[in-house]
Amino acid sequence: MSKRVAFIAHCLLNQNAKVEGGAKRPGMWEPVIDLLRERGYTIRQMPCPELAFGGARRFWGVREQFDTPLYRRHCRRLARLVAAVIEQHASAGDDVVLIGVDSSPTMGVDFTPSAPHWSGRPDIGEDDSMLVRGDGIFVEELKAELAERGLPVPRSTGIRHWFADYDPDEELRRLEALLE
Amino acid sequence: MTDPRGRRVAVVADSLLETLLDELAGGGFGIIQLPPAGLERATAAAWVEQAAEHVAEFRRNGYEVVLADDGLYGAGLAEALGALGVPPLPQYAIQPPSTSRLTPET
Repeated sequence: MSKRVAFIAHCLLNQNAKVEGGAKRPGMWEPVIDLLRERGYTIRQMPCPELAFGGARRFWGVREQFDTPLYRRHCRRLARLVAAVIEQHASAGDDVVLIGVDSSPTMGVDFTPSAPHWSGRPDIGEDDSMLVRGDGIFVEELKAELAERGLPVPRSTGIRHWFADYDPDEELRRLEALLE
Repeated sequence: MTDPRGRRVAVVADSLLETLLDELAGGGFGIIQLPPAGLERATAAAWVEQAAEHVAEFRRNGYEVVLADDGLYGAGLAEALGALGVPPLPQYAIQPPSTSRLTPET
């Protein structure tokens, strides 16, 4: 029997993986986890490329800082693992969705933070990065890996709890539409 | 800026995730989910290896990390942690079901 499966960004199940100052909850982001469970989705947590690469004490960053060949190779290594599990589910005829984090330079799905001028001493003061349309680095590499395997990109969206104009009701509607 | 993270992480076998989610959430744990059964051996080993890298980073920074294992990948995780110089994780003590409902009202 086919299943419904959600591949989710690591930090949605483990807020400890966020950059310091970035966690919203002690352990997990329940609005998504609870909804997935209510809808009968099997949860598949993806690795956190930033935690593995930059460590738990990494600074906040934007897409331009992470967009290096070495970081892309690191993301691709992890994307191969995720793609292998997606392939397993796809072969079984399962319905697969992907939920990222739209404030992330790595896990963004519809948006990702950008600041071409950020570099050097980490004292930016006010955050003047912009959220721009596009994927994070890992999501790009995952899509490329899926394409190489001849697999379709799952339906997807990103959590926006760090957006200045975050609207929980809008997010709930968007998630419900994804999970229908 | 406040950050409410619990600094507690549970590495959880896929087969135990659904059972333990509420309990772990209540305890302020974040979760690292181990891979599902049925993967090719090399893929499973690589997945466990990257999970060990996450664990090592949390341990290096003083986070509490425990393991809720079903016997599928625990040994592989211990081996991968050993390669990173991290001792095996303590087992998470799964809470027994409450018996309060069995107590007759008086």
